[in-house]
Amino acid sequence: MKRSRFKRFAATIGGAIVALSTGFSPALAQETLVIGTISALNGPGSEWGRGVDAGTRIAVTEINDNGGLVVGDTTYMIEVKSYDDGYKPAEAVAAATRLIEQDGVKFIIGPLGSASALAVKPIFEEEGVLALMNSYSPQTLANNPKYVYRVLPTSVEYVDQIVGWMKENKSDLTNVAVVSPNDQTGWDSQKTLVEAYGEAGFEVVGKELFERSSVDFQSIITRLLTTSPDIIELDTTPSSTAGLIIRQARELGFEGLFVKIGGPGVPAIVEAAGKEFAEGTIVYAAADTSSEKYKWMEEEYAKIYSPPMNAFNVFFYDAAHLLFASMQKAGTITDVDAVRDALVEVTPFDGAQGTLVWGGMEDYGNNNQLIVPTFIGRISDGKEEIIDRIDAK
Amino acid sequence: MSQLLIQILMNGLMMGLVYIMMALGFTLIFGIMRIVNFAHGEFYMLGAMAVMLLFSTLGINYFIAVLVAALMVAVVGMVIERLLLRQFVGRELNGMIMTLAIAITLKAGATIIFGPQEMSIPRPVSGVTNIAGILIPNDRMLVGAIAIAILVLFYFFLRYARAGLAMRAVAQDWEAAALQGIRPQRIYLMSFGIGCAMAGLAGALMAPIFTVSPFIGDVPMLKAFIVVILGGLGSLPGAVVGGLLLGVVEAGVATFINTTVATMISFALVVVILLFRPAGLMGQSR
Repeated sequence: MKRSRFKRFAATIGGAIVALSTGFSPALAQETLVIGTISALNGPGSEWGRGVDAGTRIAVTEINDNGGLVVGDTTYMIEVKSYDDGYKPAEAVAAATRLIEQDGVKFIIGPLGSASALAVKPIFEEEGVLALMNSYSPQTLANNPKYVYRVLPTSVEYVDQIVGWMKENKSDLTNVAVVSPNDQTGWDSQKTLVEAYGEAGFEVVGKELFERSSVDFQSIITRLLTTSPDIIELDTTPSSTAGLIIRQARELGFEGLFVKIGGPGVPAIVEAAGKEFAEGTIVYAAADTSSEKYKWMEEEYAKIYSPPMNAFNVFFYDAAHLLFASMQKAGTITDVDAVRDALVEVTPFDGAQGTLVWGGMEDYGNNNQLIVPTFIGRISDGKEEIIDRIDAK
Repeated sequence: MSQLLIQILMNGLMMGLVYIMMALGFTLIFGIMRIVNFAHGEFYMLGAMAVMLLFSTLGINYFIAVLVAALMVAVVGMVIERLLLRQFVGRELNGMIMTLAIAITLKAGATIIFGPQEMSIPRPVSGVTNIAGILIPNDRMLVGAIAIAILVLFYFFLRYARAGLAMRAVAQDWEAAALQGIRPQRIYLMSFGIGCAMAGLAGALMAPIFTVSPFIGDVPMLKAFIVVILGGLGSLPGAVVGGLLLGVVEAGVATFINTTVATMISFALVVVILLFRPAGLMGQSR
């Protein structure tokens, strides 16, 4: 009797051990899915670059905390490998090469910045790596790339609407001067803006390019002021730098309107310009910063990087969720082509700020551009006030 | 047009004064220690960071914060001189490599501690002064006034103070100076501290005008380098002339053409000077 009782006891313990070692749901094996991010985590551009990384990580944490990403019969815990490209193309290439060859990554979010994006695009196309990136250059989506998708709206997507809004709501203003960084991003975005302002009936009286490391703009502003602009358009100038330009221009006597249709970042603008000088600046707002979802995301961001969070974070948060939803739709994390094809199938997609769809055929000859809602903001008492909402074309 | 030219001149002079402060410290260190201090820009950055902590975070009076920031940077510089650079005095290549390593370390350390983002600090002085239509921001005017005061003090220190005379003696011939009872090691320590203090002071003064980040030392370092090459490495009057020349030329070219060409012109000036006067405008060949 004692021997049989012991045998039953041992069998019970043994069974429990087997059950525990295979998990309570042995049909769902748990593995790791590794994705990569490439962006400027330090230096100029890092306010946006950190949004790439943090947006991705926030989405990943959300999924992992809920048990992981279920694709088919497997649950994956997602791991993010992040590399800093310093907003430089050579470093973006090094990061991409490392992710693909050493880390074996097939899905990358980033980079952000035209020079970096254009440098790595051929690598992604050749290696068959699916990349959800951002770059303001139209070349990003040229020649119908198979694996490169853009997940932020560029000025092509919304500039006509915002400039049109300006024409309608600021009809007393006629002259505009555009100030942009002297690199691929700035050249491309300035060209788009100058065309848009011209077509809307504004006279473009000045076009300035500055080195990204510049902090003293007195010479540029002195020249600009000789053309008497009503509007100074700050384009894709980094936010802190934009704040410096605003302050220095006000000090040199500019009383007109500042507009920034490229790249959000009101907190940094206000901090550098001062509340008084930044008052009334019209900005492209990537997100409704007063929404509950945005505030939640700011709290999550603060766990990863020092605030303030840049609104670009929202786009990459959505991009990450879009990618994972595509994997689930395709039922695979290894067949890149299938996941890529599923990107379209999962749209319209509920993003953090509204519905997301793919588009861009008219401008790029393909639908690799994510179309998102955009917002017009105004800096009011040091904060961003959303004054209108536009659906990007 | 004349008002525009005067405005450009004022813009150039204001920046030129800051370049001079950077260049004086740089050329002092080279003149006495024969070390090209590639970490000079990082001492500028440390001065800016120090004033951010003292003035913006701790709320200490701005002028006291600037003074304390410069002293703090001087102390850091003296520690670095004593521990890392003393053995490289006179050995220019080794000194360059060591200061480059120090620069990279200081920048990386600042990035880890403060983060890479650009930060703004409140301005102690605001507003603009209008002099016959020429607009000068008050904060820049303050920096200009302090820079001129520092230059005058520096001149009198080198000309009449015992320590200043000792520095000049060591710069001319350290062995002869040693025979006169001057201790070169003490002079090296003092010179490096003063040089770093000048850079830190420039950073502390400019911090409220621009933004603060671990990377703000790169451009002032470059400007200091151009100024001392123009003026003559080791020449203090040359640093003054070079700084003013660079500031005004840059302002003029940047206003009438653009900033990229202004940078090209400043380097072209360096090339021309090196071709026809390798020791710089006021330097002396060794």
